[in-house]
Amino acid sequence: MSLFKALKNGAVNVVSSYKMILLVWITTLVLALAVAFPLKASFNMIFGSSMAIERLNDGFDIGLAGDIGRPFGAIMASLSAGAFVVGTAGFFLMTFFAGGLFRRFTLAWGGLRVSEFLRASASNFIPFLKIALLMMFIIGAYTFVMIGLPGILNMTVSGSQMPSGRFMYLFYGLWALGLPVWLVVADASRRWIASTGSKKVFRAIGSGFRLLRERFWLSYLTVLAVFLLNTLFIALTFWFSARALPDRGMEVFLFFLAAQSLFILRLFMKAWRYAAVCESAQ
Amino acid sequence: MRTFFSVLLCLLPFTAGGQIVVNKPLSPRLTGYDINAVLDPEEHTVNGLMTAFWVNHSSAPVSEAMMHMYLNAFSSNLSTFTAQGRWSAAGNDGWGWVKVKSVTDGIGNDLIDSLRYVSPDDGNTHDRTVMRVGLPVSVAPGDTLTLHMEFISKLPSPIVRTGYEDDYHFVAQWFPKFGVYETAGMRQRETDGWNCHQFHPTSEFYANHSVYNVSVTLPSDFVTGSGGILIEEIDLGDGLKKVVWRAEDIVDFAWTAWPGYKVLTRKWRDVDITLLTTEAALKKADNQFEAVIHALEYLDERVGPYPWPHLTFVDPPLSGAGAGGMEYTTIFTSMGGGAVPSFLKMAEMVTIHEFGHAYFMGILASNEFEEPWVDEGINSYWEQRIVDHYYGDGYGLLKLPFIRMSDTDQGRLSYITSPGHNLATNDLPSWMYPHNSYSTMSYNKAAAWLHTLEGIIGTETMDNVFREYYRRWAFRHPSGKDFIAVVNDVVKTRHGDRYGEDMNWFFDQVLYGSGICDYRLSGITSNKIRSYSGVVEGDSVSYTRSERSSDTLYLSRVSIERLGEVKLPVEVLVRFDNGDEVLETWDGIAGYRDFDYTGTGKVVWAKIDPYDKIDMDVNRINNSYTLEQKYTASRRMMNKFVLFMQMMISIFTL
Repeated sequence: MSLFKALKNGAVNVVSSYKMILLVWITTLVLALAVAFPLKASFNMIFGSSMAIERLNDGFDIGLAGDIGRPFGAIMASLSAGAFVVGTAGFFLMTFFAGGLFRRFTLAWGGLRVSEFLRASASNFIPFLKIALLMMFIIGAYTFVMIGLPGILNMTVSGSQMPSGRFMYLFYGLWALGLPVWLVVADASRRWIASTGSKKVFRAIGSGFRLLRERFWLSYLTVLAVFLLNTLFIALTFWFSARALPDRGMEVFLFFLAAQSLFILRLFMKAWRYAAVCESAQ
Repeated sequence: MRTFFSVLLCLLPFTAGGQIVVNKPLSPRLTGYDINAVLDPEEHTVNGLMTAFWVNHSSAPVSEAMMHMYLNAFSSNLSTFTAQGRWSAAGNDGWGWVKVKSVTDGIGNDLIDSLRYVSPDDGNTHDRTVMRVGLPVSVAPGDTLTLHMEFISKLPSPIVRTGYEDDYHFVAQWFPKFGVYETAGMRQRETDGWNCHQFHPTSEFYANHSVYNVSVTLPSDFVTGSGGILIEEIDLGDGLKKVVWRAEDIVDFAWTAWPGYKVLTRKWRDVDITLLTTEAALKKADNQFEAVIHALEYLDERVGPYPWPHLTFVDPPLSGAGAGGMEYTTIFTSMGGGAVPSFLKMAEMVTIHEFGHAYFMGILASNEFEEPWVDEGINSYWEQRIVDHYYGDGYGLLKLPFIRMSDTDQGRLSYITSPGHNLATNDLPSWMYPHNSYSTMSYNKAAAWLHTLEGIIGTETMDNVFREYYRRWAFRHPSGKDFIAVVNDVVKTRHGDRYGEDMNWFFDQVLYGSGICDYRLSGITSNKIRSYSGVVEGDSVSYTRSERSSDTLYLSRVSIERLGEVKLPVEVLVRFDNGDEVLETWDGIAGYRDFDYTGTGKVVWAKIDPYDKIDMDVNRINNSYTLEQKYTASRRMMNKFVLFMQMMISIFTL
């Protein structure tokens, strides 16, 4: 199979799985809103009828923290705790839904009903969780070797407080080029679990490495292409979010729609990687 | 040129009547120092031979001299500095001290047995940072006391302001130095006497403007810098060199030596600026020069000229970071900022702050021990003005798409969030502030009320105040009361009695009082005025309500309160639904005030201090009130937070 065909078939599979992607989106939205709504309510309560709320217009003015006083500390504590809970729950949820998505992308033909999708998600959750944790550990170690150690060396030699210079850019680049290798292994391992129904995690990871060895360029370039597009898209989304300053009610609502549309697209693009790896393994 | 300077220097008597650095003496030059020193980089000691003089400018004979021996602050864990602070020596080699090995006066009298340590601030008998020199013959008015001293200074480690770390040396407060002999009337003093304080964690500066001829012998591979101009550098052979510096009319002489320094130079008008930095911080050198030049330009335009033709500043390496953020007139230390991202102007802020000290303490030489607000407060106020002027009003210190902070707000934030901000008055000596409130009070509260004063009298008048303060008091040791007198004179001249007979009412509250300032807009009401139908023989009373029309009248009320003790005049901006705006003023003296309006428009919002003039108001959230709150900002923030969390979840999962 060619690179183009893997990407194309993957894209078609993702688009046809739109119901599942939207389910993932709704879940993350509800999760994030569970923290964001109390945060908004806290700010509204603190500001009441004060026009000082205008100082949030151009980003958060830290000078306001003093005027808010003690409640600011409480808000920050709640925010940190909330972000941690959302992050952790989000990790489990995304791992859970990955089980259903991989099942969908390994089917020779046809789709999955939502109930079948959820059943497949539940069935694959534990092995997927193990693979996710294991691969995250491997990626962490890889990052330490590729960036951490050269950074420490750089700081020791230069006496600087931060790694800097072209030397470090070289390692950042090498790290980015190597990262898709681990993504291929992670995705191919999960594909193996989803297609075989086996729960054997290490055999699955072995299968991931086998795909990497047997179809290195196809699988690597497939993931690299999607990875680069995803990175660009993420940067664009953050840029948009940072720059957008809607200041009227309808504009704020339109911003919400635009932001969520971007996130849905991001979910499609991430699932595209799953589907493309599954295609390249056919 | 250096040879010429060397010859000239040899021809000069050490009393330095001649000029090398500046065209004519800037100060009375009541003290001066000739020091020949040798740095031992293995033992981290400086052996010195010093000839120092002091001129009795009083009208009475003086029988003793008082000298700073500030390195002794690091000599034990019972000194006032270590007891008040948290410094401890890095092992037995880490203690620092200065010892006088011999001392004679100008006619050869041995004074070594007359030396006594005294502790004028706290009576701590373990503190040896102030030395009394008993004189066998009193110094007559107009006469000069000359002391020939041999001393040895051992630098402390880890570095706090001064000291060493491996081969890095920052040598400050290293030689016996005269205190200031104040005559009656100077700084509102009643009788003549020495003003010589112990070395404190919070303060270390009050000295005469002096002339320094300093030579240091040290290994050839050390790169050096100091507060003087380099006269010559002599190769002594055997891997040694001798560096000769001269400085005129500065309050302290510090120097540094380290093989790793990179030396960069720039010129601003007639000032040669030298930066000693590290390899790692080289990329930030342009920013650092830019910051210094911003400060030079800003203060030159608004206060007065920088009077010396040279300025050296240092970005210490990580190992010498303890030397950072200090000032010794024509040499000051910043922070390299190599690790600080460009959106955070922390290194620039430190550079501007320390240059400000070099400028204000260097030129005006107030008493940092007794009136820290005159030094730290005034300097912080100007630092905040400079940073926000050049790096962005509203985001001078930090600018990111999601978050921002001005330097002025940073100072105000520190003041209003400190639990000790209303415990004490702002005129205490540095070591007397309770509950660790020194920084809050002397830096941030003072800066906040100086911004407030600027808000009340106007920026132009404030600049005139400082121009006059500089003109009257440069090189003359002003006190806080001298500054207030300048404020009163300038405000009177420019505004007459607009703010009362003088501005003492302001200083009595903010400087000599401990109260806080807080105004609150407690509410807005707008009621339709009912048409009165009348009373008929006392039988009936009827009113008619008219539908809203262009001639419907409303009675609106804006209610404001003073919650704090500080009473300041405030402005109140009131906005009506027909677009009209009214700017009211209130003297702020009573506990509350209602503003009533009758007209066709209803009040929709009102703001106390709409132009943020009252920087010391501890709560600005309660300064405004609107009947049309939309909360769009918090909704937008929530939407961005939601997207951010979703993206993070999608990024950090496989």
